[in-house]
Amino acid sequence: MRTRREILAAAAVGVAAPALLRQAWAQQDAIEVGSLVSLSGTFANIGEQVDIGSKVAFEYYKTAAGKPLRYVQLDDQGDPGRAVRLTQDAMRDRGIRFFMNCTNSAIALAVAKEAASGGGVYINQAGADEMTGSLCNKNTFRWPVATYSAVNTTVRPFMKQFPDAKKWYTITGQYVFGDSLLKNLKDVLGEVGGQHIGNSYHSLSDREYSGFITAAIAAQPDVLCICNFGSQTIDVLRQAVSFGMKRNTKILVVWSTGLDQFQSLGPDICEGVYFGANYWHGVDAPGNRLLTGVIKAKLKVTPSYLLTAGWACTQATVEALNKAGTTDVPAVIKAFEGLSYEGPTGLEKVRAEDHQVLKDYYLLLGKPKARMRDKDDYVDVVSAEKAFLSPDKTGCKL
Amino acid sequence: MMPNEALRFPNGTTIAIAAILVTMPWILPSLTLACEIVVVSTGALSCTLLLGSVGLLSFGQGLYFGLGAYVCATLIRDFGMTALPATITAVVAGGLLAAIAGLLIVRRQGVYFVMLTLAFAQMGFFLALAFPKLTGGENGFGNVPRTTVAFGQLPLSHPIVLYALLALLCFVAFALVQRIIASPFGTVLNSIRQNESRSEALGYDVRRFKLAAVTIAGGLAALAGAMNTLMLSFVPLSAVDVETSERLLIAALIGGVGSPLGALVGASVLSAMSDFLSPIWPRWSTIVAVLLIVTVLFLRDGLLGLGRLLGGAVRSER
Repeated sequence: MRTRREILAAAAVGVAAPALLRQAWAQQDAIEVGSLVSLSGTFANIGEQVDIGSKVAFEYYKTAAGKPLRYVQLDDQGDPGRAVRLTQDAMRDRGIRFFMNCTNSAIALAVAKEAASGGGVYINQAGADEMTGSLCNKNTFRWPVATYSAVNTTVRPFMKQFPDAKKWYTITGQYVFGDSLLKNLKDVLGEVGGQHIGNSYHSLSDREYSGFITAAIAAQPDVLCICNFGSQTIDVLRQAVSFGMKRNTKILVVWSTGLDQFQSLGPDICEGVYFGANYWHGVDAPGNRLLTGVIKAKLKVTPSYLLTAGWACTQATVEALNKAGTTDVPAVIKAFEGLSYEGPTGLEKVRAEDHQVLKDYYLLLGKPKARMRDKDDYVDVVSAEKAFLSPDKTGCKL
Repeated sequence: MMPNEALRFPNGTTIAIAAILVTMPWILPSLTLACEIVVVSTGALSCTLLLGSVGLLSFGQGLYFGLGAYVCATLIRDFGMTALPATITAVVAGGLLAAIAGLLIVRRQGVYFVMLTLAFAQMGFFLALAFPKLTGGENGFGNVPRTTVAFGQLPLSHPIVLYALLALLCFVAFALVQRIIASPFGTVLNSIRQNESRSEALGYDVRRFKLAAVTIAGGLAALAGAMNTLMLSFVPLSAVDVETSERLLIAALIGGVGSPLGALVGASVLSAMSDFLSPIWPRWSTIVAVLLIVTVLFLRDGLLGLGRLLGGAVRSER
């Protein structure tokens, strides 16, 4: 039989346990890095992959700035509001100062502001131009390219290859990201002598695009250009191909996530279609050889863009911490600025003026099934280029 | 059926709400969780008022929530207003929009009423998406500064000040709803819920009463939206989507629409579940679905009703 005192003592220990645990964590002197990933909710399929990629990177790197690294998973459930709350909690209650990852731009923009106001450092995979443009801040860095880069590194080499493909029709997602792609495309077409003959907007919730595709067919373009992202890219392309557009029109998807989308589409749909992508596993670069080796050894799969995005943000953070040699936030920010390292796309450099990682963006061409060397060899790399707005034109004032 | 105790104000529920709001920051592991519960419960209260008092099921409270959030954010960021005047303006805007939409919505009953509320909510979402210069589109409305409560005093950057303001606004909303329920106006709303035709036969202008309830509920949802902006310093597009409407309604139903306290109970359970279960099991929302099914099938008064039932059983055993 337990005495009242014993029960009270046990209760006191129970109440104090979280505080004791927190103290124990602090004593280990590890660098805790908060990872904003959507593991439930609409974007769970994206978040899970980014999360895995980051975890593999943490297991590989283990330490930074001479201290052990600890991965702190923060499930934002795809909700920017919740992401802000989790960031506030992590900073206030656990003293976390380093953050990474996101599953959409809204989350990244919201967390970036929180990280800046709380004195943290944040690197993410947002697609929104504002991240290194009008809404940039001193504490935030971005790994993927902006829409300007995506359009310029796909449309220009494409036009060089097909100078007679003058008439372009676009199907665009009617949201900020889609509009940015469209605006940049119109600018580039104006410069290279192309003609934008029409556009169909679809909304964020559309799943059926036959009306847009028949409008595109009626306009008789030389090129159908798809300016959207995610599962909507897959649906538009699948329906355009099933309507026979590949027969007499070239198709360019400006922004794709690469392998995972190709696996959903299958080689028959991908064949002959041009894709823009932030990453391709077949690129021969030291950083990519390391990444593919570790991912294949750990997970027995070929790295996709999402796995790589999780890895890339971890790698950049580790490189900056190692360069700084300390966890002092201003020192780490300084180390980030101008940081150069062998990343998944080759030599990657962090631009000090807007905190954009300068890296290659790829133009890929879907190859016939008969030419695929393995089950993931969907495309040939047509070009790999860096094209970034000059810092004075991004609108970023740090 | 509305319990008789509800026809008094202030009553035990008022004290319970005040006690919960005061103790929450000390009970919960995080202050931001307490803030979220306060915001969601204020939004759920608008569903409780409509469903519990008038019997109107609205899938569109997210529209007013979103409007309140955007209005408050715009006034603070672009016009330099402080929190209180921005919040009051947001509530007025939400009430006005609800009154305008209500003129059309209250013309229909039952499933048609529900569908109209859903249609308005969808329209709000697409308008927010179509005007990114005003709302930030899918990137959200950012760069909202942490202002002060009013007259440059009490900065919201201090977590306790922020919670105190949110809790105070929440308490005012709950007290207002309790006062409405206890008033002759509330009695008429209750009679409409029980038998609309008979209320009309008694000479009450049912549409006008419904319109008044829809307007007040719109103002409450807008208040919750404004509070959300104060909490996050940011308005995500999700603030105005149908999922927000669903979330507010689910919180109200799980807690129980028989009393305003149900909104607080439902919001607490929903937000706490999301916080505690999501790190353990990514498919945690399945549990919410099961809870909702159990509530709808077996607990007509929600978890609050279950609490009362258990309390009554314990008392009768004594």
